[in-house]
Amino acid sequence: MSLSASGISIRFGGLVALNKVAVSVSPGEIVGLVGPNGAGKTTLFNCLTGVAQPQEGHVQLEGQDISHLRLEHRVRLGIGRTFQTPRLDLAGSVADAVMLGFYPRLRQSILSACLPFSAARRTEDELSARARALIAEFRLAADPDSPAGELSLGHLRLLEVARALASEPRYLLLDEPAAGIDDVDRDLLAQAIRNAAGRGLGVLLVEHNVGFVAELSHRMVALVGGEVVAEGKPADVVGDPQVVAAYLGVQRVAA
Amino acid sequence: MSRDARLWAAPAVVVAAFIVVMLLGLVRPSLHTTMFTIGLYALIALPLGLIYGQGGTISLAQGSFAAVGAYTSAILTTRYGLPPALSVIPAVLLPAALAFVIARPILRLPELSLALVTLSLGTVIAVGLQRGGDFTGSYVGLSGAPPLPIVGKDPVLVAIALWTAVLLVVVMYSHFVQSARGRALNAIRVDRLLAEAMGVNVPLDLATLFAVAAGIAGLAGWFYVHSIGYIAPDSLNVETSAHILFMVVLGGRRAVLGPILGAAFFTFANDFLPGAETHGLFFGTILVLILLLSPDGILSPQALRVLQRPFARRAPAEPTARPAAIADAKEAVQ
Repeated sequence: MSLSASGISIRFGGLVALNKVAVSVSPGEIVGLVGPNGAGKTTLFNCLTGVAQPQEGHVQLEGQDISHLRLEHRVRLGIGRTFQTPRLDLAGSVADAVMLGFYPRLRQSILSACLPFSAARRTEDELSARARALIAEFRLAADPDSPAGELSLGHLRLLEVARALASEPRYLLLDEPAAGIDDVDRDLLAQAIRNAAGRGLGVLLVEHNVGFVAELSHRMVALVGGEVVAEGKPADVVGDPQVVAAYLGVQRVAA
Repeated sequence: MSRDARLWAAPAVVVAAFIVVMLLGLVRPSLHTTMFTIGLYALIALPLGLIYGQGGTISLAQGSFAAVGAYTSAILTTRYGLPPALSVIPAVLLPAALAFVIARPILRLPELSLALVTLSLGTVIAVGLQRGGDFTGSYVGLSGAPPLPIVGKDPVLVAIALWTAVLLVVVMYSHFVQSARGRALNAIRVDRLLAEAMGVNVPLDLATLFAVAAGIAGLAGWFYVHSIGYIAPDSLNVETSAHILFMVVLGGRRAVLGPILGAAFFTFANDFLPGAETHGLFFGTILVLILLLSPDGILSPQALRVLQRPFARRAPAEPTARPAAIADAKEAVQ
């Protein structure tokens, strides 16, 4: 029972972005993927979500090979995600943005969506109530009908987490969720992530900010130059000489 | 506005406006034919409003899809003796199928390229109709199409039948935009990667709606040929498609009623303006002026919000209402 990638290699022209990388997340576990800029974190994230196709290696969900599946299929199988730069309709309401998250769980036909008094119509009230409950739980906005564009960056990130949770995922993949947000929002976000893991979701955090990840994750994976250089308990990974060298720019620790 | 009010506001406006104009038509009978023209344009423009305004997918082929529907029905009724009540089915399905097949490769193109590709599609259809020999009636077209079933040739009944179709499309459009499918289409316009990440099958959704739009245009073509009794390559063509896009953009592509308002504006302006050669100048100027003032057209979300503001102020003390709403939501969770 896990979401795992194994033997992932991907090259962009002559540049080796990932070289035989393996990473896995189990239900209820928070895994932090750290590394300096250009280490291949986002590329690995894209391989897991289906945005990028690796040249070698496999992605497996609960033992089933999903390497060939496209992004929208993986979402329906239970891989929820957020974006590094929040992606949403800023002119639309906060409630509508969260309600979009229910889409993968609904099997609604276009005809049903068009007709009055249809099944789609009856679920609409229920979806609206559930979205409002999520907005209240995450303290996203006092007024769910206010435009999403009025939220701060931190709240937009939280909104993306709420939207991803609305799709009832088994695994939640977060791309740089803590980048550029203030301490209050960061605490709210950390709490949301802990709650999600507490409910049995596997969480993969891709982060630049080692401190935030070390505090939150059960296990950490450090990626440098497209290869896994350290893996294990947060304290061990943070203290690993290669990780320190990569972050502090030291060329090589004297042997 | 409550959810039900938002669902039924646009259909109610259509019904009210239709009744008023038809009653005025008792005094001035030419209004009945004007109403027919507006309804025809509205029927072709409404689905374009949906795929362009909500889905960000432009099309300059709506007029040509209407022509395909009209020709299909004309050929089947005049050559094969099919009654119009039956020929309506292929008149809708043929343009829809055509649109669905070509949609997949072209709908991934950016807006301008898509406009050009759909424009050239219209040109290809026009050339096909002109060079179709006896089968399509060549440059002369086809005449002798029988009148519409049940309503016959009575202009009032024809207008009622046509506007019933318009009303149905408005009802379905209003419901669609406030559904999970409608939100998915909105996500496609905002950001295709976002839509995919939300589990939306973007190519299939766009192709389906493109086909539905073409099918509804085909239905308008069917109304056209069986009311006028005649169809030629110039009746519904690339120029019609451009006019339809003008109506959608001017009236408001984001609003359900935008295309209808645009169709009404275009038709009335055509009737009252002297000299056809000045029309282009007039429409061009109006379009530039409106888009400068309101980039989303006359019925834009911003313009509607301004109209609603005086009513919103009358609502009782907002700050107390907000915590209550949250409390309600919390109860809903428990």
